[in-house]
Amino acid sequence: MAKILIPTPLRQFADKKDSVQLPGSTVGEVLKSLTGQYSELRRHLYNDEGKLRSFVNVYVNDEDIRYLNKEATPLTDGDTVSIVPSIAGGSAGVAAPPAPPATLSKDEILRYSRHLIMPEVGMEGQLKLKAAKVALIGTGGLGAPLGMYLAAAGIGRIGLVDFDVVDFTNLQRQVIHGTKDVGKKKLDSAAETMLDINPYVEIDRHEVALTSENALDILKDYDIVVDGTDNFPTRYLVNDACVLLKKPNVYGSIFRFEGQATIFAYPGGPCYRCLYPEPPPPGLVPSCAEGGVLGILPGTVGLIQATETVKLILGIGEPLIGRLVLYDALAMRFRELKLRRNPECPVCGDHPTITKLIDYQEFCGIPTQTHEEKPMDGDIEPTEVKAKIDRGDRFVLIDVREPHEYQICNIPQAKLIPLGDLPKRVNELNSADEIIAHCKSGMRSAKAVDFLKQAGFKKVRNMKGGILAWSDKVDPSVPKY
Amino acid sequence: MIKIQKTAWEKMVSHVEGTFPKEGCGLMIGSDGVVAEAVPLPNAYTGPQEDFFVIDPKDLHRVDQESRQRGLDVLGVFHSHPDCDAYFSKRDLEHSCPWFSYVVLSIKKGRFDHANSYRPDFDQTEAPKEELIYG
Repeated sequence: MAKILIPTPLRQFADKKDSVQLPGSTVGEVLKSLTGQYSELRRHLYNDEGKLRSFVNVYVNDEDIRYLNKEATPLTDGDTVSIVPSIAGGSAGVAAPPAPPATLSKDEILRYSRHLIMPEVGMEGQLKLKAAKVALIGTGGLGAPLGMYLAAAGIGRIGLVDFDVVDFTNLQRQVIHGTKDVGKKKLDSAAETMLDINPYVEIDRHEVALTSENALDILKDYDIVVDGTDNFPTRYLVNDACVLLKKPNVYGSIFRFEGQATIFAYPGGPCYRCLYPEPPPPGLVPSCAEGGVLGILPGTVGLIQATETVKLILGIGEPLIGRLVLYDALAMRFRELKLRRNPECPVCGDHPTITKLIDYQEFCGIPTQTHEEKPMDGDIEPTEVKAKIDRGDRFVLIDVREPHEYQICNIPQAKLIPLGDLPKRVNELNSADEIIAHCKSGMRSAKAVDFLKQAGFKKVRNMKGGILAWSDKVDPSVPKY
Repeated sequence: MIKIQKTAWEKMVSHVEGTFPKEGCGLMIGSDGVVAEAVPLPNAYTGPQEDFFVIDPKDLHRVDQESRQRGLDVLGVFHSHPDCDAYFSKRDLEHSCPWFSYVVLSIKKGRFDHANSYRPDFDQTEAPKEELIYG
């Protein structure tokens, strides 16, 4: 028998009593009687696994049971058991950079004047920015504004990861690269622009594709990772690497007119897998190259990421942790979704099953290179299609792209039936005819071929590489997009 | 919602301005969501107190007992963030308890700047802001 004192906030669950006498010869038994009598108290005191919650301290008289025999601590009549929550906390500088450099030079003071006169940044904040090391994955749509503004803001060291080359289709949004840079390595072009904006920034160039083999090694030297990638395997890779390294992942993604941003993998906060445990089936979510993107969109989203990065370093404001910002450019609206860490998450949960980096191509269901090189059954080369046209062979060429793409360029002999319309327009085709389908690069027309085969068409083939390959191999006057 | 009466609020602010640049802490007691009295307590953390605080459970136990005798309840905890905004930090969340309101006071360069109040959840994953009225 022991007396249990009920803490104020819990009395409402115990018939408003401030103490109760309960049977039991150990602390565990008495607490069991307590939660048996007042079942609502159970979830306050115990977690789902039946363990005392981390904020619950139990005292027998004046002794904390952690220093006695824990829940097996014996009780004698007349003992008093107290439930006392543990209370602690603290501001905990985020990604606290090591001792900041002592001073800024006279030129730097002039350069950062508009930061220095704001008390929220000031000399102290500017020195934090200078001491910070940020890894930027990708120097494309999101990476462009990120690289430029993070450099301008005076981040001391920025690590760029990219292995791509600037091409003309990049220039509509990747403002860190210019027309003169087409053909140049994106790393060099980006670094050149950033150093022009701010020569005081140190830039590390990692000219590699981020992989499971190199990610931890590259990212371990930085305080914060900013994800500017555009594909699922790299997104999961960056996420998992950040969780394992305990580094915040400032995330952004864009598609057509919509964008998202949040901070993942902040210790205690959710990660990308808490939001999306599984990748979508390959091909379901089109990339920007397939679906297009408003050129300005990555500017808006990339700058949300840049803002959050700078806030994390300075320790000011409310960080975008556990909140997903959704931006709709057409409606010009921002919305916010709450995100929570999933205790069952395979990588950041309470019992993680993923404790090292995995094969992300395989995880995302993307066939490996050797598969792709194997000629697909039913593929036909654009040159062969051209020869058939020239010979006057009887066949039907269908273009399964969208009408607005058809307006950009087309093959005059082709009949336009957008992939989405194919099921209802399939009666326009004759299964006795030989049919060849094409699209922009061969992905959608492969789906069209599958669909037609299932609908009973026998003689259907896919023009390999789409109209882009047609432009390369048959008619260079056809513009590429 | 939590409402803090003027004298209690002034005691809280003056306590955490006094502990600056270290974190200061204490308990708030009262009834029906109105804080009538602030009880400043020593920061019991044995490491660097610039960004961490601990309330000695014995202090909490004692204040809880004393306030019960006077018909009052412990409604919440207050602590300061020196030279840092009044958000609910990762460390706050990791050490939080859902039974109380957590008032965080931002103290910049030794002076009170702003404050927020939070109600953490059971799993220490989230702490929604609640309305805070003081003065």
